[in-house]
Amino acid sequence: MGSIIKKVIIYAVLVLLILEGLVRLFHLHNEMPNRFADTKGVEKWVPNQSEYSITGNRKQNVGQYRINDFGFNSVHDKYEPKEDAFEIALVGDSFIEGFHEDYTNSLGQQIEKNLSNTTVLEFGYAGYDLADELHLIHAYKDIFEKIDHTFIYIRFTDDLDRDAYQESSRLRLDTPFTRIAKQIKLLVYLKDIGALDPVLQLPGRIMNFISGKKEISLSEEELRKQEKLKNELSLNNFKTLLAEYPIDKEKFTFLLDSSLCTVQFLEYLNHNGYNFLDINTTFSKAKTPTTLIYDQHWSKSGRSLVAKLVLDYLDISATNY
Amino acid sequence: MLFNSIDFAIFLPIVFFLYWFVCNRNLKVQNIFIVFASYLFYGWWDWRFLGLIIFSTLLDYSIGNFLRNEERISRRKALLWVSVIINLGFLGFFKYYNFFVDSFVNAFTFFGSTIDAGSLNIILPVGISFYTFQTLSYTIDVYKKELEPTKDIIAFSAFVCFFPQLVAGPIERAVNLLPQISTKRNFDKTQITDGLKLMLWGFFKKLVIADSLSPIVNDIFNNSSDYSSTTLIVGAVFFAFQIYGDFSGYSDIAIGISKLFGVELMSNFKFPYFSRNIGEFWRKWHISLSTWFRDYLYIPLGGSKGSQVSNIRNIFIIFIVSGFWHGANWTFVIWGLFHALLFLPSFITRTNRKFTGTINVLQSPKTFIFDILRFLQTFVLVTIGWVFFRSESINQALLYLKKMLFDFTADVYVHPSGYRMIDYFIMIICFVVFEYIIRNNERNPFYFKSKALRFCLYVLMIFAIILFYDDGVDRSFIYFQF
Repeated sequence: MGSIIKKVIIYAVLVLLILEGLVRLFHLHNEMPNRFADTKGVEKWVPNQSEYSITGNRKQNVGQYRINDFGFNSVHDKYEPKEDAFEIALVGDSFIEGFHEDYTNSLGQQIEKNLSNTTVLEFGYAGYDLADELHLIHAYKDIFEKIDHTFIYIRFTDDLDRDAYQESSRLRLDTPFTRIAKQIKLLVYLKDIGALDPVLQLPGRIMNFISGKKEISLSEEELRKQEKLKNELSLNNFKTLLAEYPIDKEKFTFLLDSSLCTVQFLEYLNHNGYNFLDINTTFSKAKTPTTLIYDQHWSKSGRSLVAKLVLDYLDISATNY
Repeated sequence: MLFNSIDFAIFLPIVFFLYWFVCNRNLKVQNIFIVFASYLFYGWWDWRFLGLIIFSTLLDYSIGNFLRNEERISRRKALLWVSVIINLGFLGFFKYYNFFVDSFVNAFTFFGSTIDAGSLNIILPVGISFYTFQTLSYTIDVYKKELEPTKDIIAFSAFVCFFPQLVAGPIERAVNLLPQISTKRNFDKTQITDGLKLMLWGFFKKLVIADSLSPIVNDIFNNSSDYSSTTLIVGAVFFAFQIYGDFSGYSDIAIGISKLFGVELMSNFKFPYFSRNIGEFWRKWHISLSTWFRDYLYIPLGGSKGSQVSNIRNIFIIFIVSGFWHGANWTFVIWGLFHALLFLPSFITRTNRKFTGTINVLQSPKTFIFDILRFLQTFVLVTIGWVFFRSESINQALLYLKKMLFDFTADVYVHPSGYRMIDYFIMIICFVVFEYIIRNNERNPFYFKSKALRFCLYVLMIFAIILFYDDGVDRSFIYFQF
């Protein structure tokens, strides 16, 4: 019995070591940059990091990122808008950050390449919600005042959960343990493809089992009620945040997916003069997948559609500049 | 508890260590522990249905013991019929009640009258088709005096509910399993390592072949009217590999786990896609069910010993019943009928047992090429049959086949989520080549002498599992629904 256990352990260790080697050899793992909060309390990536972001198993999607001096993924080193030049800013979460595509072909770059004498500055950071985005814009008022037009990407379902900015808990995730774990590429790969989810959920399941807590399945009526409350809260949070961090309605446009928004929210935007650009108008007609495999983020085709939408919008709005 | 769940990954080592370290003192303790672990394993799904297994166990145990002391033929027959009617009654109620009610209503509607018969919201107890057949085989064998009824109720309970094969087979015979359960199992290192290897091979087939093809197959079959013939061919071929990977993978895991507990189960698959005709296919596919029907239905009906008409009737009966066993849907009946029709020509010309030996790699190139062509021919026919098996209705199956075979159109399939299709084609080719290499070793796929080669294969299998792991796939086994 002892010998077989010993043999199984030796084999398991050897297999794990070889798998770690294979994952590294084929670069199956994702490389996430390190984060920090700058002197203005804005959470960003540590400047000047460059690696590959990999999504899905078997490297289904690979994108090279490059964190610039300012702490965002961009081809532009510095964000120094000039009064006499035309600049556009894209502010948002991972969708704008665009780790899923080479930084040279990001959403911002797709827009920039189609406009002459225009610079597109990207302020995308995974996990940003509207509070983060408005805090960033407020903290770097001097930059955003010089930028001619800013697009703020929001997802109604995720980005309006709070009504005030607070430093996020993401920074606390950067512990010595997670830093060591990040070095085990097999672990990074398995976590990213969801293979560790059952293991990570296990403690919670055991705790629920011990405490006798059961999963409560809500009726459709209760679910609808909950959703209605959440939607109302999101709208109120939006109002509170915009009252706290007012924006120039002429220079700012929200980029959103109307299929995720409530009618009340869209009506509120319309009645209060907030400009918005609806990506659902183009996504709903798309014939090829607009999102990645195993991932909700925009695919190449999805990004191109958004870029075209922005370009068309700028074309229409050009007379305003 | 699914074999491929975290729950089972915790359950199995605990049960294994307790079995060999704590319960290894005597046979009784070993068997009590097996029964306890098996009931826990089954109850993890739905403890309410444990009552059914326990009832079925007590029924057939008692009938077996009544048969021991009963010599009068009429009484013996009556006892046998009690077992058959009650066991099949449960199976019929849980599995087929709604089907019969719906078919009855549809038939009347077809003839112009409407009747109001409500169907019931019945949950199918997992594994009922498997353990019902297993307990029935015991009673029939005892009735035929081919098996001495056991007096040990614990051993008999362990035979009925042995967890590795409880929910999806192999459907074991009492003559094979009961003597093993009735003898104390001793720790055998070789048997355990063989079991672990077989489990790895089974997990590979389930997680890499079946699970990764499943979203593609689902998309093609669910939207078959939107796709071209070439895409429908891809869907049918992928389903052929999906169902094979799923069920043979499950069987290998079950056989492997049984080995960990010192029990040898029968082989359920012997590389069926390397069959040179339909007869050979059925000797290699779901062997435990095919042989069950052969021994307990086909032979009692007269087998092939009667007139040509009765022989053909028997063939149709066994294939149709076998199809119907799979599920309460006419698609399964048609699938069985289709196989009966495929089997018939070789049966009439007495060539159904022409290919019984193993495929020899050293044969002449001409024979080798002919064998490959025969494999392809059988595979194409079987794959056409799978369309009935996979479709929701006969109408869907016929439309699928019509578009696939008669309204030929071609284009390149693109999965809505953008799956890289080339990966799956390469995976299937590698799988077929490896299966061909190991085609005579279904119980020992890593039979190679070189330790280094074996180790490389283990690593490759595990690497493939993590390469093809798909978070969003439904991981349950297809045959659990039967």
